[in-house]
Amino acid sequence: MKVQHVAEATWWLELESPDIARRAEWGQFVMIGFGVDHLDPPFLPRPFSVGWRSEEGRVGLLVRVFGAGSRRLASLRVGDRALLLGPLGRPFHLAPGKPVICVAGGVGLAPFLFLAGEARRDGYDVRLLYGEGSADRVFDPALIERLTGEAPVVWTEDGSLGHPGRVTDGVDGAGDQAVLVGDPTVLACGPAAMLRALAGRSAREGFRLQVSVEEHMGCGVGTCQGCVVPGADSRWRKACTEGPVFDASELAWSS
Amino acid sequence: MVELRQSVFGVEFQSPVLLASGTCGYGREYAELIPLDEIGGLVTKAVSVEPRVGNPPHRIAETPGGMINAIGLENVGLRRFIGEKLPWLRENLRRAHVLVNVVGRSAEEYAAVVAGLDGEEGFLGYEINVSCPNVEGGTMFGTDESALAELVGRLRRETERPIIVKLTPNVPDIGIYARICEESGADGLSTINTFPGLLVDVDRRRPVIGNVSGGVSGPAILPMGVYLTWHAALSCSLPVIGIGGIRSGEDALQYILAGATLVQVGTALFVDPSAAKAVHEGIVAYLDRTGTGTIGELVGALEARGPVLA
Repeated sequence: MKVQHVAEATWWLELESPDIARRAEWGQFVMIGFGVDHLDPPFLPRPFSVGWRSEEGRVGLLVRVFGAGSRRLASLRVGDRALLLGPLGRPFHLAPGKPVICVAGGVGLAPFLFLAGEARRDGYDVRLLYGEGSADRVFDPALIERLTGEAPVVWTEDGSLGHPGRVTDGVDGAGDQAVLVGDPTVLACGPAAMLRALAGRSAREGFRLQVSVEEHMGCGVGTCQGCVVPGADSRWRKACTEGPVFDASELAWSS
Repeated sequence: MVELRQSVFGVEFQSPVLLASGTCGYGREYAELIPLDEIGGLVTKAVSVEPRVGNPPHRIAETPGGMINAIGLENVGLRRFIGEKLPWLRENLRRAHVLVNVVGRSAEEYAAVVAGLDGEEGFLGYEINVSCPNVEGGTMFGTDESALAELVGRLRRETERPIIVKLTPNVPDIGIYARICEESGADGLSTINTFPGLLVDVDRRRPVIGNVSGGVSGPAILPMGVYLTWHAALSCSLPVIGIGGIRSGEDALQYILAGATLVQVGTALFVDPSAAKAVHEGIVAYLDRTGTGTIGELVGALEARGPVLA
């Protein structure tokens, strides 16, 4: 495996897992943990979007430290072993021939590193909009370019790198450049407030929007029923097996 | 060659290791990950008369050495269980035994589930859940002696299949409840369900769990589970299924030596779906290492002096 510090409190892991690398689809995730003998956090495995894969059987994961569990994952070193379960969940679906706009907030960038590179090779017109709070958090744009074939359009809330403002502003276009043209499919992954703002616009303006959601997850395969999000029909949806990717219209967005 | 087979509840269990209710769905979720038909069996997610939607998120969180959960008994309800879940179990589990976990808000609701299921094929018997800490009234029957006696007696009249009562740890003397179950016609006990707990997010000054409180499970509760299993097994003559924090053969053997005939693996499955198989293999290794011929020799073989303390 390979571990690389890519931004403040943020690491890029590349793990050997040929089976997951071969089978993964864009937007799917893996559960990563250390087995039942490991009682320190993370005791329960944690979900991470598949962030990249190589033909040699490597899988890339983007890890940002939020607590003790992610700190342990970020401290993995070459030669360490971890338990991976996957690929899991429902992937993104692209509309054939239509442009794709990926809106990434923070480590919500991960699934789009995977999707943008491969979808571009498949001939899709993919635009990657990537927002962070400030420049020190921004995942190395050169590495993003290497993984996806193109540099992202970066937004920072404090204006310290790229365009100033929220990445959702980027949907309106950077400068004079229109974004929502050509009947695009918009894909989003990031903080709940960001997804909610986009879902509101999608409902008003009628563009297709798929979101990848996050919730505390126990098993990743539907047995613990822990990771629910509210559905538009008042029924709970399991993020692990019914998601993590949903059409925005499937979910309830009132805060 | 060691012998892990035992006759319990009128049938032969090929392994003492089962999967605990709420941690294995309705079986099918783990079909591609675990050789389900090679273990002792599984206990389904709770089934109620009507479907239940369950609690708001967060429903789970990690705690030291385990987790807290408040799922809220989300389940598809009796009709869909029979139509959509039971056929798969019937067709795919030939040697592993299925217990259906049953919940209700009243004795009538429990009885309706048992009566509705009893003529179906594909399962051995019932695990009666009187011990869910995460729904209003969930432990009502498990903490009220006369209500428990009435419920078990009522269900006994509904079925000749095995009735196993899953007890709550949240009582001053579990032995009293064990004896009530036996006197009311139960065939066995499952000890124990989760412990009530509260996890606080100190930054937000709010509970982490959407339901406020939840049930604590995992390795952190192992010694309490072993103690309560020991206490329950000494208090009655029913076979006891030990549950709580099991993640190795040694953990399972603690329960078995304390008096459990069978055990259930729960939270450990989330960490590693192959945990149940590892527990089984750990028990085999122990029997080999200690020259023990059959698992039955170990049940209740704990050498302990002194009184049972509540």
